[in-house]
Amino acid sequence: MTKSTLQVPVAAITAAAHQIVRMTLESPEWAAAAHAGHFVNVQIPQGSDLFWRRPFSLHRADPVRGTIDLLIAAAGRGSRILAGCNPGDVLDVIGLLGNTFPLDPQPREIIMVAGGIGIAPFDLLLQDAAHLPCRKSLFYGARSATALCHSPLWSEQDVQVHLATEDGSAGDPGLVIGPLRRYLEGQQDLTGCILYGCGPTPMLAALRALALELNIRGYVTVENLMACGFGACMGCPVELAEPRADGQRYLLACKDGPVFPIEEILLHD
Amino acid sequence: MTDLSVRIGTLHLANPVLTASGTFGYGSEFADFMDLNRLGGLVTKTVTLEARPGNPPPRICETPAGMLNSIGLPNVGIDRFIAEKWPFLSTLNTPIIVNVAGRSIADFVAAVTALEAVPGIAAYELNYSCPNVKEGGLAFSSDARVAAEVTRQIRAVTRRPLIAKLTPNVTSISEIGRACEQAGADAVSAINTLVGMAIDIRSRKPRLASVTGGLSGPAIKPVALARVYELVRTLSIPVIGIGGIISAADALEFIIAGAAAVQIGTASFMHPGAAIEVVEGLEIWCRQEGITTLAELRGSLRL
Repeated sequence: MTKSTLQVPVAAITAAAHQIVRMTLESPEWAAAAHAGHFVNVQIPQGSDLFWRRPFSLHRADPVRGTIDLLIAAAGRGSRILAGCNPGDVLDVIGLLGNTFPLDPQPREIIMVAGGIGIAPFDLLLQDAAHLPCRKSLFYGARSATALCHSPLWSEQDVQVHLATEDGSAGDPGLVIGPLRRYLEGQQDLTGCILYGCGPTPMLAALRALALELNIRGYVTVENLMACGFGACMGCPVELAEPRADGQRYLLACKDGPVFPIEEILLHD
Repeated sequence: MTDLSVRIGTLHLANPVLTASGTFGYGSEFADFMDLNRLGGLVTKTVTLEARPGNPPPRICETPAGMLNSIGLPNVGIDRFIAEKWPFLSTLNTPIIVNVAGRSIADFVAAVTALEAVPGIAAYELNYSCPNVKEGGLAFSSDARVAAEVTRQIRAVTRRPLIAKLTPNVTSISEIGRACEQAGADAVSAINTLVGMAIDIRSRKPRLASVTGGLSGPAIKPVALARVYELVRTLSIPVIGIGGIISAADALEFIIAGAAAVQIGTASFMHPGAAIEVVEGLEIWCRQEGITTLAELRGSLRL
């Protein structure tokens, strides 16, 4: 679909977890075209001296109501201003941007791996995968129980949810890669299992190492500083694991991604 | 109806609003957002003789009313530019100005010579001033003798209009501008980015992998305007104003200071339709003010 800049009304803002809000935007055309991986680039409302837009993964889409949802962690100045918006406010938003998570027609298992606000695209991935009868698992880590964003789709689609928190207040104590490794090593056959990762770069780097070690296919969606979001500023390079024959060393997170095959790119801070 | 057209040497622009190199890709990135044919002209991202991968990340950093960048001129090289980027650009009805850079004078001349084989290029903008390339780059526009020599050698291989893009990171921009004029440049464009730096105090690391980079955006507009005004007073060739322009009002400031045309740069990242909005804003303002040609405004600064 073509990219556009739209004036989008905020339909609702609700608390999703501690310092994380779910923002519902009225945008029928994006709601109808949205898939997991897509992102939008949101201008911080007038009165702010912040210069760049802020990119957010799409969290959910409701084509019937004509809305899309974003998950916004109020972590920095820009996201705090957005989290403080009210229903009826109108935001200047560029979308839909980026590529999407590929789905196999008949996967054995979809294994989602989320860290913190990296949970955002996985409701939409479950929506995209609703017709697939395969097993679905979610490994979801956060700082503590209060930072976890729970979803009704988990029970609707019989998702096996494995939680981990750094303070041990919910699920396994520690990082999410630990329980993921134990789970994968306990499987007899990993062919047809596909990993989908979104979260902090160190988590994605650990996920990549695990996927390569156990020879499991997978995709990650990366976050990166970006000034434009549509391929013009070239400020969001992602390093290729193998430079191309023509000397190309980088892809762009916004235009070539944000979703990449896990083996294709290097992940480092 | 206001006539916004501009002549720069043999280059004829329907309006004075160009896109700035390095902020507008090769046009196609913006095709979803606007009718590209409404631009006064499109200046491409820099092309070099050989492909370049660009600098390692982080390449950009947000700053008050602007940003720092150190992109490093990633591009596919002249051959693939001609094969892959030019076919789309050649379908447009707006003048296409190809921005060219080189590591050495010979490299520069070879790049322009290769582009001479491509029909339809309206002009060349010579990137003498990228602060983010280790070799060459800045030297071309920080030393008047070097700027004159490279301009003279490029002038010898093309009849197309030459626009020398100047850096503000020098003691006297007008000295460099004069050297380019005397060596055969048809116009100058100014300013490129200002060298800047930012530090993450927690990690004590620079925000850019290359430590320093180029500052752009509204933060630099007053500096740009002063440099453009200085160039206008010194040179007899047209000056194209660049630096922090996000609105028609900003563009009017540069035109009143004497700029023949303007380029919209960083604004296009935040508002991909910014250049067209400036064109529309100029049309509306001129109509409201009863201005029929830009010549009435240009250099009309009252002192």
